[in-house]
Amino acid sequence: MPDKEDVDDLTKEFIAESQEGLDRMERCLTELESRPEDGELVGEIFRAVHTIKGTTGFLGFDRLEKLAHAGEHLLSALRDGKVEVTSELISGLLRLMDGLRAILILIEETGGEGARFSDEDGELIAELAALKGQTAGEERTLPEMRQVEEPAAVLNPASSGSASGVSDKTLRIDVSVLNRMMNLVGELVLTRNQMLRSGLAEANFPELSRRLDSVTADLRETVMQARMQPVGNLFGKFPRMVRDLARTCGRSVRVEFTGQDTGLDKSLLEAIKDPLTHAVRNAVDHGIEAPGARMLAGKAAEGCLRLRAFHQSGSVVIEVSDDGAGIALERVLAKAVERGLVTADQAAAMSEREALQLIFLPGFSTAAAVTTVSGRGVGMDVVRANVERVGGSVEVESRLGVGTTLRMRVPLTLAIVPSLVVRSGGQSFALPQSALVELVDLPKRDIAQVVQQIGSAEVYRLRESLLPMVWLDRLLGLESCEAETRQGHYMAVLEADGCRYGLVVDDLVSPEEIVVKPLSAVLREIGVFSGATVLGNGTLALILDVGATAARAGVKPAEEEMVELKRIEAATEEVREMSLLVFEDRLRERTALPLSVVERIESVPMRQIEYAGGRAMMQYRGELLPLRDDGAVLVEMDARQTEREDAMVTVLICGGAGGERKLRFGMVVRKVLDVTGGRLLEGDRALDGLDLALVKEKVTVVQLDAELSMTAAWREVA
Amino acid sequence: MRTAETEQAIEIHYEIQDESEVVSLCSFYAGSGMFGIDTRKICEVLGERDLHCVPMAPVFVAGIVPYRGDVLTTVNFRALLGLDEHTGRSCVLVLEDDEARERFGLVVDAVGGVVMLSRDMLEANPCTLEPRERWLFDGAYKMRTGLMVRLDPLRLRPSRLAETGLFRQRINGGTDASTDRR
Repeated sequence: MPDKEDVDDLTKEFIAESQEGLDRMERCLTELESRPEDGELVGEIFRAVHTIKGTTGFLGFDRLEKLAHAGEHLLSALRDGKVEVTSELISGLLRLMDGLRAILILIEETGGEGARFSDEDGELIAELAALKGQTAGEERTLPEMRQVEEPAAVLNPASSGSASGVSDKTLRIDVSVLNRMMNLVGELVLTRNQMLRSGLAEANFPELSRRLDSVTADLRETVMQARMQPVGNLFGKFPRMVRDLARTCGRSVRVEFTGQDTGLDKSLLEAIKDPLTHAVRNAVDHGIEAPGARMLAGKAAEGCLRLRAFHQSGSVVIEVSDDGAGIALERVLAKAVERGLVTADQAAAMSEREALQLIFLPGFSTAAAVTTVSGRGVGMDVVRANVERVGGSVEVESRLGVGTTLRMRVPLTLAIVPSLVVRSGGQSFALPQSALVELVDLPKRDIAQVVQQIGSAEVYRLRESLLPMVWLDRLLGLESCEAETRQGHYMAVLEADGCRYGLVVDDLVSPEEIVVKPLSAVLREIGVFSGATVLGNGTLALILDVGATAARAGVKPAEEEMVELKRIEAATEEVREMSLLVFEDRLRERTALPLSVVERIESVPMRQIEYAGGRAMMQYRGELLPLRDDGAVLVEMDARQTEREDAMVTVLICGGAGGERKLRFGMVVRKVLDVTGGRLLEGDRALDGLDLALVKEKVTVVQLDAELSMTAAWREVA
Repeated sequence: MRTAETEQAIEIHYEIQDESEVVSLCSFYAGSGMFGIDTRKICEVLGERDLHCVPMAPVFVAGIVPYRGDVLTTVNFRALLGLDEHTGRSCVLVLEDDEARERFGLVVDAVGGVVMLSRDMLEANPCTLEPRERWLFDGAYKMRTGLMVRLDPLRLRPSRLAETGLFRQRINGGTDASTDRR
């Protein structure tokens, strides 16, 4: 038996494999509790234990084999339907898993399984036998194995979370992926050889560099792919944890997952493991109330914990939300003041959002009592620090009595970031694309109009909201170069940590995928740059930390209410959004008709236009079509018509689309501009009963009641 | 990169070979003075390079420069001495200390060459030095042509310079802001 020696490769592989098997088993077990009829789950668990048993026998780990054997017996009985799935059975199987895991950890650490039949094992085996049922006669002999009694059992079966050994350092990669990588590396070498042979002047040089480009991209893609792991691997251990926690805290909790397939870089997955565990623990212990309290609050006795992972603009968001009591803001504030984290005045002036972020301060815990599970005051600050270390961010949302959501945002990968390179004050800077919302061109001639002042602050009116403007060169104390000769500026609308602002730069260079290089501590301390990178042309550029830049410039996160308001606005806007046909009738004025009203656009010779009773009309498909000429196009055309007989006029044939009113009419226009979506402005913003809409950011009159007014007018004529 | 073992090996090598205790220093110039740094602490002399300035960095930081896949912070030696900006082009020395594993650049006016000097030519700092200079200088070698001031690369590390606070004439809020960022 390999004792106290280095763990050999075979064993290492076995451990990694078994840990995986046990992880699977853990997932299945907790699922089994809710779906006891599922035969496949039992099969899966059986296979995991069976594999361990088989391999251990081969490797000579007797203790492990015995335990696995006992478990296998029970599981085969379960598979054959001889025993029922009960809560005790699940608990027993979970203990079996812990036992197996503990031995595995021991093997990993010491190289041996601890050649002793500890009391624990014997008891566990007896318990498993008992669970298998009264019918199991021969298994009754198993307790005999408690011959050798070892007083100090060094094992800590609860330490399943601390299995940070071999299995965490290894990564399973599909051989095909590895082959592909090797192929690409080969290709890379070949391309290099060719490049070395052919000079810059060679005709095939551009082609070679193109190939180099594609090979590099492919290789990067493959390596990244190999490093990606589904978040589900991480989620897998939570059902068990929550189950145990819920029992300890006297809660009843159901766990729900979404987005387990979301891929995340292995190292990032490791990095968020602890913060996530902490968040889940917090949610069960502090978030979800005891069943009694929940009933009183009119909620289901069983609390619900949701783990959600999804992609959002270049990063992965992981949410832990509970439907518990929520965070009481007054208590947060009171505690923060009590702990001296903020002054009473500061506390009073805080917005809801700001107050909530206080929980991330070091030394903060609102738990009334320190429990074994959490509440020792080391908590959310560590969560935040851990997530921020990998370039992520954490935010919390809470509603008293409804629940709390903790949102972690982590980048997909650490090394390569798509970004936009901009210039300001004669220097290049890289802005991460993930923070970039949109770009606004600020031509020099317009700058005085679009930039508005509120006191000393400059704001830009972007659609219907005011956006604080931050001039990068001023913020960084750079000389704003050649202000006179500059054609204008660009504004990058950025969003980070809930702050949205416009960063004004001199020029946009190009979007580029940059390789992040860390800065030395001295430069990190400046707090505005998150790194540096070498650009395609060989020069350096600093990477702006968008959130820190906002903080430096004094941009505050948008108020919660504002967001709410916007959401409502957005909802109504959706309703008021419609397709419009935009045309010009009066000179320099844009008018629009709902597209649903317009049937056709006709080009009509002037002579077909007839007049009756001072009103223009035309014959169209056998009916008399009254014409509306708001822009006096016809009069104008008439004046010019003398020399050119066959002048054409554009007429929109409009029909009453809704309702029975069959009456059609024509609208004479100068020219049709566009068919596009637009948004009607609120009634109070419109002028004199005119319906205005924003169509491509231009004010447009919409004739919503065109038919109505026409009908009235026509009757008058008739 | 040298490991501690090779370092030791070199030292032993020196001891055996040169009983007269000869040290090799790389000489360089800044302003009117001549300075020297132990050649073993110098990774490479980069020569003239374009430095990329970092806005809001401490005064003694000359900028950043790409070097073997890393981005190095460079220390402006003239700024440490309180001299004005050099008019011509500057040279960058890449220094490395094996303990802290911190690589950084030192921007000087010009690099002279390697000089072999005997240890007994070294004289300690005079007691009348200003505090800044006392921090920077590590004695001087009496050479025939004049004095060569010895520098301790460990003390020139940007992080060390930031810690001392001696060289922060221009107060930059960066350090304070980073701690109280929500």
